[in-house]
Amino acid sequence: MTVTAAPQAALSVLPRADGSAKYSHAGYTVTASVNGPIEAQRRDEHAYEAHVDVIVRPAAGVGGTRERHLESILQSSLTQIILVKNFPRSLIQIVLQIEATPENDYVNTKLVQASLNFSIMPALFQTAILALLSAAVPMRATATASVVAVVPETKSKKLVVDPSPRELEAAQSVHVLAFTSQGELLLAESEGDFTVEEWDEVYETAEDVCCKSETSKSDVDMMLDDDDDDAGPADMHQFIRSTLEDKVAADLHWK
Amino acid sequence: MPREAEPSLNEKQFILQALQENLRLDGRQLDQYRPLELTFGDEYGVAQVSLGKTKVFAKASAEVTVPYTDRPLDGVFTIMTELSPMASPAFEVNRPNETEVLLSRLLEKTVRRSGALDTESLCLVAGQKCWSVRVDVHVLSHDGNVIDASCLAVVAALRHFRKSDTSMEGGVLTVYTPAEREPVPLGWLHSPFCVTWSFFGDEGETAVLDATRAEEQIRVGSCTISLNRHGEICQIAKLGGTPVEAVALLQCTSLALTKVKEFSTVLDRKLAEDSKRRDKSGRAAELTAENDR
Repeated sequence: MTVTAAPQAALSVLPRADGSAKYSHAGYTVTASVNGPIEAQRRDEHAYEAHVDVIVRPAAGVGGTRERHLESILQSSLTQIILVKNFPRSLIQIVLQIEATPENDYVNTKLVQASLNFSIMPALFQTAILALLSAAVPMRATATASVVAVVPETKSKKLVVDPSPRELEAAQSVHVLAFTSQGELLLAESEGDFTVEEWDEVYETAEDVCCKSETSKSDVDMMLDDDDDDAGPADMHQFIRSTLEDKVAADLHWK
Repeated sequence: MPREAEPSLNEKQFILQALQENLRLDGRQLDQYRPLELTFGDEYGVAQVSLGKTKVFAKASAEVTVPYTDRPLDGVFTIMTELSPMASPAFEVNRPNETEVLLSRLLEKTVRRSGALDTESLCLVAGQKCWSVRVDVHVLSHDGNVIDASCLAVVAALRHFRKSDTSMEGGVLTVYTPAEREPVPLGWLHSPFCVTWSFFGDEGETAVLDATRAEEQIRVGSCTISLNRHGEICQIAKLGGTPVEAVALLQCTSLALTKVKEFSTVLDRKLAEDSKRRDKSGRAAELTAENDR
């Protein structure tokens, strides 16, 4: 199976939802829909803020504990950036439907009890952000996530961004980090054995993937940015931005 | 959860009067489907069907399990339908509503009970090991006629699906990974499709195919006919609603057959295109471990 290197995204793919997006990168394809602000159920109603509901649905099998874990991580980090105080007593519902995950040709997987791992987090996160933007939900900032695995090699260790299933098997630790558009750390989740030095390296790698352009050339004029677009997006944040710019340009074509 | 908004009185009257004059809001004939799109994913067993604004995604998967004790020679075959709030905010997670129950019942009757999949061929060791094939149906966008779209997606996904090859040698069962041996298709016997008629008018005299959501909300009754391209009827479901003349139902059934034949040719063509796309080196015939039935 061929895995496309560059991420691909489409906005407003579902006609009935308030906002939706489809995103595929590193073998993962996720479709998201956002409805909101809508009426909340009594048990989800907060007097002063909107409740953010995240539902992760695997392509095959029913969601289990792992999915609930990912949902809770996503929910807490998205609540941070959505302006929830603007919509008291309402609900912002984000449904993430996984459509494809990279397959490991060397093992027979058990599929009926679906289980997800951290490597899908960036795809889920980016799709959720794109769908929120498409639904015009007011947000403090946009954010992007990336996953980095520490894979042991003979005598040394190497950092792998967007690890494949085989690399994940060999990995000592897997880290998910998300950064806002201002370059602030929003989410840091890790699993496995690692040292503080390794984590620092992981942090720098992930920051490069998410928001390289913000940190390195914050005061460079727009002319340079335009040159970069020909070579493809430099980082995830740039990618989200260019996807949205393309969509706006296409929608306002009539003007 | 918000309830589904009902069409206003004016909207209802407008649609009904138009239908009486043999007109539909989207300019279709009464017995015409919306443009059908069928695409397969990169993996085996992934099919996406869209009928106008209705989008359904189905994924087939298989694993080795223990067969049921009362059916030691049969494999396990399940169809899972769960409507998420993605299709419409009116659907709740983990609380099946009527649409969902009817959809899963109809798919069960059409695909599973009609014997479309040969479950005996899924048996590996009698009473001990068998394949469990499962299809997950995800409705991405609900704009009417989810039943027909889901049925087509399920059949397409199952016919596109390949399960891992196995061998039995000296009482030892080996399941080969996709890297070792090319996966094999399922034992497929016939392809049933659903065709849903919606009835309008006081006596249910206007019959309409492929109703949109607005039309579904104001219809007086519906009838789902499942049949294959040989005209063998798997099931007919007319659940309540206004009674319809028997002669009209017979006409509906014969028209349904022509539609099913169209679906069948579209599916065959798409499957052939897809296998051609996969078979770039032209060596699929050599790699396959499949025997002729």
